[in-house]
Amino acid sequence: MTTEIILLLLRCLSGLLLVGLLVVLFLAMWHDFNSVAKVVETRRRTYGRLVAMREVDGHEVMTGETYPLLALTSLGRAPTNTIPISDHFASGEHALLAMRDGQWWLEDRNSRNGTTLNDVPVTEPVVIMQGDVIGIGQMKFRFELEAPGNAAVR
Amino acid sequence: MLTMAAQKADSPRRWASESLLLGVSAAFLVVNFLALDLLRPGLNRLSHWLPLVLWGTCAVVGKRLLDRKLPGHDPVIFPLAMFLSGWGLVLIERLAPNFADRQILWLVLSVGAMLLAAALPHLLRWLRNYRYSLLVAGLGLLAGTIVLGTNPSGQAGAPELWLGFGPIFVQPSEILKIILAAFLASYLAEQYPAMRAAGLASEGRRLGLSPRVVGPVLLMWGLSVVILVWQRDLGTAALFFVVFLVLLYIASGHSLILVSGGLLLLIAGIIAYREFSVVRLRVDIWLNPWPEADARAFQIVQSLLAFAAGGIFGQGVGQGSPVYIPVVHSDFVFAALAEEWGLLGIVAALVCILALFTRGLRIGIQQQGRPFQALLAVGLSTLLAAQSLLITGGVLKVLPLTGVTLPFMSYGGSSLLASFIIVGLLLRLSTPEANHAVHP
Repeated sequence: MTTEIILLLLRCLSGLLLVGLLVVLFLAMWHDFNSVAKVVETRRRTYGRLVAMREVDGHEVMTGETYPLLALTSLGRAPTNTIPISDHFASGEHALLAMRDGQWWLEDRNSRNGTTLNDVPVTEPVVIMQGDVIGIGQMKFRFELEAPGNAAVR
Repeated sequence: MLTMAAQKADSPRRWASESLLLGVSAAFLVVNFLALDLLRPGLNRLSHWLPLVLWGTCAVVGKRLLDRKLPGHDPVIFPLAMFLSGWGLVLIERLAPNFADRQILWLVLSVGAMLLAAALPHLLRWLRNYRYSLLVAGLGLLAGTIVLGTNPSGQAGAPELWLGFGPIFVQPSEILKIILAAFLASYLAEQYPAMRAAGLASEGRRLGLSPRVVGPVLLMWGLSVVILVWQRDLGTAALFFVVFLVLLYIASGHSLILVSGGLLLLIAGIIAYREFSVVRLRVDIWLNPWPEADARAFQIVQSLLAFAAGGIFGQGVGQGSPVYIPVVHSDFVFAALAEEWGLLGIVAALVCILALFTRGLRIGIQQQGRPFQALLAVGLSTLLAAQSLLITGGVLKVLPLTGVTLPFMSYGGSSLLASFIIVGLLLRLSTPEANHAVHP
């Protein structure tokens, strides 16, 4: 008799715990989606991004990799760079992208193999524009100021 | 400033949600083990509680190590995997107690493998760079089952999908699943420029799905499916097909792939229906099991009766009679769950699996800038979801029955191992890595 009551209680408890698990799961995921929404909100105010390119049959096509820009973005082989590049033709501290007076500047940091802007070697800091292609070692990056959706609107 | 404060407040809550989920799971397991203990008075107490103790150890050690090795990992995936596998332990303890020791050993091994998959440095690069070698090795193992294959049950005529090493049986197709997902992700990520050739010069001209692009992947995938069909492991073959379609669709963005893939699956089904007696039997008893309810359709009819007996709240653990279903502890574990925990239990289990799937997709979106990682996350979570869908649908007679296991819950070491390796990889992909180098 008592065993049956205990078993019934345990059954109820197990059902309640299942419901409880679903509630906790819901709360955890809800909270997580909320914090992701916040991150997306802040990321909307991004400066722009670099889109990695590769040469295929003479055409330059996207590899699908993109790197968000900071106001001061360093590129190079050293892992301390904002965008580390593992390419033997890149120097440890290769180039710098900086936002100054509302314009973006590309600067070569005395790299061994040089930096190119639209296939022209960069000798002194130059202003770059939307869609310019930056070459570092064997890598090419396209400079994009806005997310692709916004760029289409403009 | 506001967001900074919010993020600071986030970190303790984040930590809590993982512990909280594990805590509720542990309470659920304790309650159910207690009920089982009461129902079987003559039992050896120590060996009865041993699985629960080992489960708890796995959960605590796993959580500690994950927190240390992967700070900021997904807080939901690991507790859900532990909850489902713990529930699986209760089911096996209840349905086939003499298999419980073996299953708990596999669980300990699997959590170890998960930690390795989550923390081993360079693992992703290996999966990516040595894809052909890995896949060939996996296919070799699978082909080995044709020659050396055995079935642990020892029945004549049963599918021989296992490789025996003394007392241990391994099912190579389970491990091959992960290798195949990694292979597809790695290959399709490399072909991304060709598939999405919307670059500078080739605007408008899509190479798309030319044979040069999809040829090699089609070949390797075809080889695996041929071996599976040869071995009559049709459930796994269907699973491979679904994952292949989903990944190809995501990589190329052609919705035509899904439509034509669905049609192809249908045609393959019709051909299989004509050629294989196994398939004909499965489809026939799927369409109408009742004329043979006590012969060839016995299993599925008993499974349906178990669902009916379960009702909304179930009979309570150990108080139903799911053992009328033959081999209930492996493929039909979901029916036993339905009988003893009812609709509530089914919904809880399905929500957990669905939550795992959405977390995987979310990781894929997180990794959008990196095709290999994104495709791998989507492929692995699709594997788990499609496999669960196939077997739960089969047990409920919504789909024809295919002999795949329910991830985490069914009895079976290789299945558990593969599922936990998938969890480890997903956890690893969910962690924001500080510096990832650009590879030319």
